[in-house]
Amino acid sequence: MTGRPAGTGVPAPGRTHRARTARHLALLLGGAVFVLWAVATLTFFAIRLIPGDPAQAILGGPGSQASQEALDQVRSDYGLDQPLVVQYFAMLGRLLTGDLGTSYSLKVPVAELLGAQIGGTLLLAVCSLAAAWVLALALSLWSTGRGRIASALGQGIELVAAALPHFWLAAVLIAVFSTGLGWFPPVATGTPAGFVLPVTTLAIPLAGFLAQVMRESLIDAMRQPFVVSARARGESALGIRFRHTIRHAALPGISLSGWALGWLLSGAVVVETIFAMPGLGRTLLQAVTLRDIPVVTGVVLLVALVYVVMTVLTDLVARIADPRLAQEGAR
Amino acid sequence: MRTATPPARRSRTVGLLAVAVAGGVLLAGCQADEAPVSEEPVAGGTLRYASGDAEPSCLDPHVGGNYPQALLASQFLESLVSRDESGEIIPWLAESWEASADGLSWEFTLRDDVEFTDGTPFDAEAVKVNMEHLQDPATQSSTGYLALGKVDRVEVVAPDVARFVLTAPDSALLESLSQPWLAIESPAGLARGMEENCQAPIGTGAFVVDGWVKQERVSLVRNDDYVSPPADAEHEGPAYLEAIDWRFVPDAASRYAALQGGQVDVIDNPQPDTIAAADESGAFAWLDAPRPGASNRIELNSGQAPFDDERVREAFLAAVEVDDGIDALYFGTAGRSYSALSSVEALAYSEPELFATDLDRADALLDEAGWTERDDDGTRMKDGTRLVLRFPVSTNQSVPAEQSLFEQVQATAKEAGFDVQISLLDLSSWYGALFAHEYEIVSAPYTKVGPDVLRILYHSDSITPAPSGYFANLAQVNDPEIDALLAEAASTSDPAERAAQYEEAQRLILGGHYLLPLYDQQNSFLLSPKVHGARALPTVSTPSFSDAWLAE
Amino acid sequence: MSELELRQTTVDAEAAHDRESSRRGPRVGTVVAGAFVILLLTAAAFPALVATQDPNAISATEAFQPPSAAHWFGTDESGRDVYSRVVAGTGTSLLIGVTATAIGLALGLLLGVLASFGGRVVDFGVGRLVEVLFAFPGLLLALLVIVVAGPGPVTATIAVGLSTAPGYARIIRGQLVSIRSSQYVEAARVLGRPPRRILTAHLLPNALLPLVVLATLGIGQAIVWAAALSYLGLGAQPPAAEWGAMLSAGRTYLQTAWWMTVFPGLAIVGTTIATTVLGRALARRERGAR
Repeated sequence: MTGRPAGTGVPAPGRTHRARTARHLALLLGGAVFVLWAVATLTFFAIRLIPGDPAQAILGGPGSQASQEALDQVRSDYGLDQPLVVQYFAMLGRLLTGDLGTSYSLKVPVAELLGAQIGGTLLLAVCSLAAAWVLALALSLWSTGRGRIASALGQGIELVAAALPHFWLAAVLIAVFSTGLGWFPPVATGTPAGFVLPVTTLAIPLAGFLAQVMRESLIDAMRQPFVVSARARGESALGIRFRHTIRHAALPGISLSGWALGWLLSGAVVVETIFAMPGLGRTLLQAVTLRDIPVVTGVVLLVALVYVVMTVLTDLVARIADPRLAQEGAR
Repeated sequence: MRTATPPARRSRTVGLLAVAVAGGVLLAGCQADEAPVSEEPVAGGTLRYASGDAEPSCLDPHVGGNYPQALLASQFLESLVSRDESGEIIPWLAESWEASADGLSWEFTLRDDVEFTDGTPFDAEAVKVNMEHLQDPATQSSTGYLALGKVDRVEVVAPDVARFVLTAPDSALLESLSQPWLAIESPAGLARGMEENCQAPIGTGAFVVDGWVKQERVSLVRNDDYVSPPADAEHEGPAYLEAIDWRFVPDAASRYAALQGGQVDVIDNPQPDTIAAADESGAFAWLDAPRPGASNRIELNSGQAPFDDERVREAFLAAVEVDDGIDALYFGTAGRSYSALSSVEALAYSEPELFATDLDRADALLDEAGWTERDDDGTRMKDGTRLVLRFPVSTNQSVPAEQSLFEQVQATAKEAGFDVQISLLDLSSWYGALFAHEYEIVSAPYTKVGPDVLRILYHSDSITPAPSGYFANLAQVNDPEIDALLAEAASTSDPAERAAQYEEAQRLILGGHYLLPLYDQQNSFLLSPKVHGARALPTVSTPSFSDAWLAE
Repeated sequence: MSELELRQTTVDAEAAHDRESSRRGPRVGTVVAGAFVILLLTAAAFPALVATQDPNAISATEAFQPPSAAHWFGTDESGRDVYSRVVAGTGTSLLIGVTATAIGLALGLLLGVLASFGGRVVDFGVGRLVEVLFAFPGLLLALLVIVVAGPGPVTATIAVGLSTAPGYARIIRGQLVSIRSSQYVEAARVLGRPPRRILTAHLLPNALLPLVVLATLGIGQAIVWAAALSYLGLGAQPPAAEWGAMLSAGRTYLQTAWWMTVFPGLAIVGTTIATTVLGRALARRERGAR
């Protein structure tokens, strides 16, 4: 699972549980810092490969009529005439102080710009994740242990859901629920009603994935001795499902959440465009089009940060949900 | 406008000028329709506008200067002069003007009762500061800077008289000044510096920028002290609307769905099929306002092989069939153009015969030009070279219907043996391809008031790239005769002479087989039946809501 | 855990249930999926056989026609036959899906083998590299690649492939590590076989088969991501009939010409389902045989 450092051996006997946990945490955090540094470095050098002159992107983008003096001025203002190594360490130094630079096109600090956008995107992602969880759980609870037809139907729904492209699903949802039925607005309005269609668009394909894994875990859980004994005690089938098996079904889901969040951020690029929501995805798309390098770098770093935090969190949650993991140490 | 019936379906042959007239008919229709019911304009309310144009990176249209900026700036900035339906220049912030006999000096008498919304008085000093701002390289102006190419300086003659001193006579000066990219802003506002001024420029307009939430909306509120509508406005004094909520909704289907659901009152850039549907059902009013300047056309790069041979250019024009495609893809909402200029330009000259499809003629011309062999795909070859036409298409500037039309161009040209290679590119890559001359055909809209756009697009001076790499003469037209005509037309003070020179220049440009005109630059708005009194300014066809009101 | 690892666990778990059940012989679903895949492959290899018309032949006067006997799936905005375009798009779309998956697999294999045989330091390094790749979620990585290399079908394919590589790498490492500690490899080592021979004779064959299974599952998803890039205008170039591009072009006309999106959409969904079902069936056979 993500975040667990590879290659760490079995803890030496005699070490206390606490020491093991501390060591694990230290590795986890060290790994997280490394990932952020590597992402910043990779992005910095990848962006040097982009054809085109950053100075031109700063001066009104392509198609501008900037004079040679203006271009030279900008190059020296932004340090673009410095050697690459100097620029690289300057960037790292700025990053350490939390300075992401200034947007080429909007001329405002990137941190400020992204700070205003991340809330909306995270809210969208978290709501979609929650909705996907509920949908997936409902589908897998409904379709397991009810015979072959329900199982086949459940699997079919999962597969179809997971194969739906966001942009197409969004168009269908708008056609049905906005234009047809008039239940929800097609353009996000900041109200809860405006949130329904974007969240549904993101949640349905994700639920397809989650349900696949949950159903298998549920089937496993249903065969566990404690479930069998509970059944022997005469507990209702539904009661058993809720009391005993959800926890088991949830475990793989939790460790998937880090991946799911990244997946949702990808989807947000499309969904934010269709539903006209402000957010990181749309910011990124626009920045890519305008070659606004500081914004692209900022979004990439921010997403990496979110991923890293999620990885650490899911690792910790998984340990709490399943104490065996904490005992066993890293594989 | 409630029952405003957009113009009856036009026959294509009436075409060109009909579109311009139609815009007028529509507007006239709107206003005429209101009268019989004798509905009085209702004050108050917020108009919700959904824009599909790109979100500007700076609200000050002096910086850069593109159409999305003009759309918004028209709500809160005003120009020295405007244009009426017939194309005549009319007073706005300037009451009158007079050129010296040699055409090198223009005196503008300004209104003396206007203040910017920050309280700064509007005067000759403000005009001077604005023109200097536009000409200052640090402003990064592109459109405005080019338009002031012949302006040497502005002198303050009196508080209400500004004198423009030119380096050469400029017959396009008034047209240039009517554009929102040369609108007048508060000198105090400009003094705040670019970053702050970009967020909320200060003008004299009917509305004031109240806030800008990036990627979401610009909030505009009424200017209660508004006194300076253009001479063709419906009413004096402040706007009826209390505010405008200007939202950015990039997806066309979402925009139309929002209009249908009553979430917004006005949308721009609707899809042709939705225009047709709205038009037919009468559910929404269609405001058809083609942009001025150049028509939407495909330019043929005559600067390199294979289009350096005029016969090959002529063969391409003879091979390509677009009429049926325009009909089908635009559902009858766009008329075919046969001119380099927009149909709203009074001096637009059309020559339909030049663009008749004739495959036999195309084949004969290509044979004559030496493209005689064919490879397995049916593509013509000459000395082992395939007849390839690279066609970079900007996904940011071409709507889906237009991209489909380009695919039809590709398919029909193939029959004559052209291998048209379309590449869909984002804006930066697209400019990159143009700057590197990696194109044989390209479509690039250019909006400017007046026929002087021809000088920008087809004068050989425009072949030389700016330091950024940009050049406007994408067809690489390099003809001394055309250069001379365009230069003369731009400096003559006699309207009849000017018209004759522009017509001759257009005759030469069209006759040189440098371009394939398609239709006017489409610029449509769909309005909810609640909206009354909205119109498109006859300058660059941006919407104006200073006379608009919302019915209960 | 990533989507790929998820699929892996799903496949494993299903195989385990199957072993317990006493059913023999192929399921109905597998047969249908197999038939569908054969149909797809035929369409990809011999589009002219399956199509009824030239997929790029335009006829503007016949635009937007609903499905009929002449045009089974209707016509698009340029009057082209949607059925023939879906058929013609099979090859392009499958190629994108298969190539992207192959790129992901190859890179994943390289990283996985390095990690499991390079010693602890290399293993740790590769592990971190995989983490870093994971920190760029799919479309974001694709957009970055496109910024650097310019848009187009090749870039889109590479981008989608790259974004799946870390998932494969982690699975391959896991499998190689578990096989290495298995009894027959132990035995080979005790018998004094050289390490390279152990790798080629025992480890790779045992790790590769499950990978093929996994790859069939990844193809559909790669097609879906490539479709998203087409929607953003950064994917296939006209007039190439690619399902994602058709879907995105037809989306504009969803309310007036539903057939323009429904049929390519069905092709994508059908392909994803068929490859997944087949992949699972393969997995069952493979587990059963072991």
